[in-house]
Order: sequence, then C-alpha cells, then structure tokens
Amino acid sequence: MNEPPARAGTPQDGEHAPSVASQLALWQKAGGLLVPLLTTVFAFLVGGLVVLVTTGKNPLTTYRAIFEGSGLNWFLEVGAHELRLPFTETSVPFPWQTNDLESLAALNLQQTLITWVPLVLTGLAVACAFRCGMFNIGGQGQYLVGAIIAVWVGSELPSLPGLLHVLAAIVAGALTGAAWAGIAGFLKAVAGTHEVISTIMLNWIAVWVGVFLFGLGGPLQNDTQPFVPVSNDVLEESKLTVFWGDPFLQGLHVGVFVALGALAVYWMTLNRTTFGFQVRAVGHSPEAARYGGISVARSYFLAMALAGLFAGLAGAIDIVGWQSRLNTSDIRTSSLGFIGIAVALLGRNTAIGIGFSALLFAALVVGTSTRNLDPEIFRPELASNLTLLIQGLVVLFVGADVLILYLLGRGRRARRRAVASPQE
Amino acid sequence: MSVVAALALVAPGCGGDDEPSSAVSPTTSAASSREPGDAQAPIRVGLAIGSGRSDEPSLDLLARQGLERARNELGVGSRVLTSRTSAGYLRNLTALAREDYDLVLAVGRHRSSSLAEVAARFPDDRFAIVDMGQGDLKGSPANVRGLLFREQEAGYLAGYLAGLVTRHESGSRQVIGSVGGRKIPSVDRYIAGFRAGAQAANPEITTLNAYAQQFVDQAPCKEIALDQIARNARVVFQVAGQCGLGVLAAAGEKNVRGIGVDVDQRYVGEQVLTSAVKKADVAVFQTILALQEGSFQGGEDIVFDVASGGVGLGEVAADVPAEIVSQVNRIQAEIAAGTIVGIPETVR
Repeated sequence: MNEPPARAGTPQDGEHAPSVASQLALWQKAGGLLVPLLTTVFAFLVGGLVVLVTTGKNPLTTYRAIFEGSGLNWFLEVGAHELRLPFTETSVPFPWQTNDLESLAALNLQQTLITWVPLVLTGLAVACAFRCGMFNIGGQGQYLVGAIIAVWVGSELPSLPGLLHVLAAIVAGALTGAAWAGIAGFLKAVAGTHEVISTIMLNWIAVWVGVFLFGLGGPLQNDTQPFVPVSNDVLEESKLTVFWGDPFLQGLHVGVFVALGALAVYWMTLNRTTFGFQVRAVGHSPEAARYGGISVARSYFLAMALAGLFAGLAGAIDIVGWQSRLNTSDIRTSSLGFIGIAVALLGRNTAIGIGFSALLFAALVVGTSTRNLDPEIFRPELASNLTLLIQGLVVLFVGADVLILYLLGRGRRARRRAVASPQE
Repeated sequence: MSVVAALALVAPGCGGDDEPSSAVSPTTSAASSREPGDAQAPIRVGLAIGSGRSDEPSLDLLARQGLERARNELGVGSRVLTSRTSAGYLRNLTALAREDYDLVLAVGRHRSSSLAEVAARFPDDRFAIVDMGQGDLKGSPANVRGLLFREQEAGYLAGYLAGLVTRHESGSRQVIGSVGGRKIPSVDRYIAGFRAGAQAANPEITTLNAYAQQFVDQAPCKEIALDQIARNARVVFQVAGQCGLGVLAAAGEKNVRGIGVDVDQRYVGEQVLTSAVKKADVAVFQTILALQEGSFQGGEDIVFDVASGGVGLGEVAADVPAEIVSQVNRIQAEIAAGTIVGIPETVR
C-alpha cells in the first residue's frame, strides 16, 4: 500500500533511452523532496483557511505565533552573546542567547527539541516496518512498554554505579520495545496475522498494563503518595545529563544525540547492510525476495523488532531524560507514537526526511500549546486542536502524493508523445 | 540537521542562574514583581488545567470559573493554560512561575508532582493546588497552599436528601446505595457523610456500599449499581469519577435516582436527584481574595466547608417536594452554624 508510486513507474519508463531513465531518477529525487514540501505547504494553507473561516483571525499571525512558540525564532535572534565552554570557566562569543532565563525562545526551543527526540524515534519505528512492507500502528504501545520498563529499572532497582544505571534503564526499555513489536512480527511471520490488527491490540495491552501497574493499589504505584496514581521517581543516577536549561524543569538532555545517532543507524542499517537489503527486498515484493533466497519470515520479525527497539528507546529516553515518572493519565492520553506515523509518512521513510518532519511536528506540538498562543491571536481552547488538524491534513495529503505524481507523470507522458510523434 | 548541529555546540553553563528575569512572553509585555494588595498594579493569577471538554463540568472548569469571577469582581489579571499531558502541565506551570504571576494555581491529584517540582524551583513564588493537601506534596513546599474540601458535609446533605426522598417515595423497604471508586480517604469522607445523613433523616433506612476498585471504566460501577438496585436501592450515590457515570446510567435505566459527585451532574439526565459538590470556583475565588487582602499564606491547607460555601449540593431535581428541599436547607444551615457536628469521615 505504501509502494512509492514513482518507483512503480520505473520499469515501464526505463525501457526508453537511458537518458530518460536518468532524468527520471533525478526527477524522482527532486520529487522526493518536492512532494513532502508541497504537502506541508498545502496542509498549512488549508489549516490557515480553517483558522480564517472559524475564528476570523489572520492565519499568518497565528502561524507566526506558533513559530515563535516553538522557539525556532531563537535562530533568528542573532546578537552578541557569550557561551561558556563545557567543563571550563572561559566564555567565547556566540551568536545566540543560550541563557533560557534571558530568552523565552531558548526555553521554547528546548521544549521543541525534547519533543523532537521521541518523534524521531517513533517515526523511525514506523518507517522501519514500512520499508519491510508492514504498517506499524503499535509505536504507541512500544513507546509505553519502553517507558514502563525504564521507570521500573530507574526507580525500583538498587542503584548502580556511574552511568550503568541510566544505561541499564535505556537498554531495558529499548529491548522491551523490541520484544513487544517482535510479538507482532513473529505472529506475522509464522501465522500471517495482520500486523495492523496485532499492533493495535498490543497498544491497548500496553496501556492497561501501565494503568494497572501505576494505578491506585498497583504493584509499582508510588510508595510515599498512596492516593496518587503515579510511579516512583527514577533515582538521580538514572537521569540523563541536561546540557541546556534547568535540569529540574525539563531542560534539554543528551538524548537528542541518541536520536541523531538513531537516524544514522537507521540509514546505515537499511542502505549499507545485508539485513537492510533483505528488509527492503521483502518490502518491495515478498515473493521475489523469497525466490531470491531471502527468509521473508525472518525479515518480518527482525524489521518489526528493530522498529520496536526505536520506539522503546523513545519511551525510555523520555523517562530518564526529563519525565522521571509515569502517571496513569499520561499513559492513557499520550499520543507520541501516533504522531510518529505522520512523521514517517511525511518524511517518506528516509532518515533525513524523518529528522525534519519530526522537527515540524515537534514545533507544532509545542508551538500550539496555550502557553505560547496569545488569546488575542487564537483561542487557546482550540490551540491543540490546530496541531491535530494540521497533522491530519499532512497525513491526508501524503496519501495525495500518489495523485500529484500521477498527474505530473501524465503531463510528462503527454509531452513526450507530442515530441515523439513528428519523428514517426 | 544543521539545527541540531548548532545545538551540539551549546554546552553546560546555561540557565540555573540567580533570579528569574522578566521574561518576555507573547501575552505579557512586562512582568515586574508586584506586591499583593498594591492598588496601582492589579495582581495576576495564572491557572494551569487539563484540556478537558469545556461543556462538561469538572473541577478544572470550576476553577476556571472561579478565576473568571475574580477577574470580573476583583479586577485581577488572569491567564489560563491548558495541557493534555503532565509534560505540558509542567511547562505551563513553569511558564506562569517564570512570568512572575502573583499566584499560580493547579488543580487535582494528577498534577501534584508537577506542582511540587515547580514550587521547589521557584521558592519566592506563591502556589495553590485545588483538591490536594499541601502536606501530601513531595517535600511539602512552604510556598504552596492546599485547598481541600470537607466532603463529608456534602455527603451528609446528599444522604439527608436521599433519606427523605426514599421515605417519601418507596414503601416498606427503604434502601439506598453508594458506589465508591476505591477505598481512599476522600471517597470515604463522602460515603461516611452520605450514610450518616441518610440515617439522620430516616433511621429505618438500609445503606449499601461497595467499591469498583477504579475510577475510569464505567462498566464495573454500573454493574455494582445494578446489583444495589436489584436489592431495592431507590437512590444510588456515585463517588467514582468517570467510572461513576455508570452508576448514573444504571439509575436512568432502572428508573431510580442517582446522585452525582464533585461537580453538578444534573446535566447527565433527569434521574440525577442532586450532586454532592466541591465548589472549586468558590475555593479559587476566596483564595484570590485572601491574596488580594494580604492574608494568603503558603505551607498550610485551607479546608472549604458548608459554612464557607465551599461544599454543598448541586441542582436538586424539580420533582422533589418543596418541604423536603426546605428541610435539607435547614440542615445545611445547621451544619453551617455548627450545630451538627461529628459527621464521620471514615466508613466502618
């Protein structure tokens, strides 16, 4: 269902002269960038129309407020500032204001980047399965089990020295996520169970296991606050270092580099390893892959497990990075795993695409919070709905890729016929 | 990618400095610290709530109404921030504290850990939390005031009304029931008051009680309520939040009466006799009033009761005879005056 349409046209068009094929490849590359951009622009246009029609406010003002709320305007505020070098007392000139007590943009940007981390990882979780021809709706559940295990390791286990504890929490969370998604992959591999159904069901199991564990009377519920449905806080030694902002108030933690690393790992695995080749081959055509000697079942299982690994990592990093605890209402209302689907769709399952589309969605989520939207500009009650609206439009228009490519392709073919006919 | 590469250069040594500066926010142009009660500069109050539906009563919504009333009657500046998750909640509380609001309000147990964290980071700012004891917060921060409610008094009034209505409407077998979410103190205060009130109004009454062991899913609560109705309960009292809506649904189906909890739940349907209500709007308004008069103090709890108008009954069903309503009003006046004392707080 997610076969890139341009590629489907390749064999047919490739029969012409090689120059056409290379032209097409070039065009595909350009289209790969152009279409998501058009999609985004279109979604924002329609979103703006909705803002205009429903509230009568100027959509540009609203979008500007969202942009500023996301903290991305930080990069535009260039001035003469100083940056203290890590581990030293010396300061060097720096073009941006890094002190978040001085700059609200810096604070907002930290929040956007904190949100960017899980969106990248849940986006990868969806993309990874996509490349193997599967639709992983279970990013949310895999994210949750990762978070649940990370809370457990971080708060209940006796403290380990140095970085061991935080590493243990992250690794345990990621592996649990992998196992959780692996269930769906395994069922698909051996019994042909549709992964959409099984991952959705696994989402609910994860949610209610979490509510059971941390709800009132649950086995992992807070020891000191018996009437609050929340887990214990993770120990100090199982928290990631915060390198920008206030460590106690959701400053930016080093998990952003893990997310960057995950993007690189994803690219490497899919494009530069045998396993990645097998996964992509199965994604293109399971039958052809099987004929070529690739174990389709194994690819299904491993691709799903890798997807779960990314999502579980997201949950674990959120816990040890800034959340420190898990409460039952968050377990029920969190939707990061689902935004990951939109991230992967818009990013067209490529590493760079996911990096940027995660940034777009993180900026939307943070920028439309009521904290950042002036009631004069946009009614705060509607603010978070605007995120969902634009998100939905993006997903809808990503589906329209097919249409845009088809129309462009038709125009091209028509022109080619027009050029070719005089020679005949 | 370049975005993050640039960030990689940003290193420790940012933030965590001395006093919070006047942050420039989209809404507030300047925010210098103001003294409460200062006539020239109106005090500013920030409220952080969840993003629930705005057409369904909730403590969040009542708190918001209280703040709106304070804005209209006391002329305070106000800002309401909503969020779906505790991540956003912490950000919102932080934003309000950073912008030097004179009082930052939070609502409910779910938000208590966020509030405790922010209150600890901004020791010079004042905070209050609705429906949570200050001592139950992590670290019992001295700049937080807990706004609690005497649930047993609201329960007592609801029970008294239920007792009278049952005597008026049913024959020889007079039974009422209550469905709790879990056996926790705030739930039991309601139920203990309810049972005491019913007994006081109608000594022959039998009271049933059971817990659903949760506050979310409506089915278990409905099941318990149907069981109580099968055992001739004519009035069922829900003390189980979302779950308890199942109790009211059961009452509607079986044509008996239900009693709502925390907020006025008459909107659910005609079967709702009344509701035992925590008036978060009154609590918020009075807290802001105290702040304006300079009597606000952190590090303690204020308990709102019938006397201060902080708890009571919601709208009473129109078909209840006027003399019963006036009898209940008399009881309410007696509780307020202090003539009825010793309402139990625990069940059994």
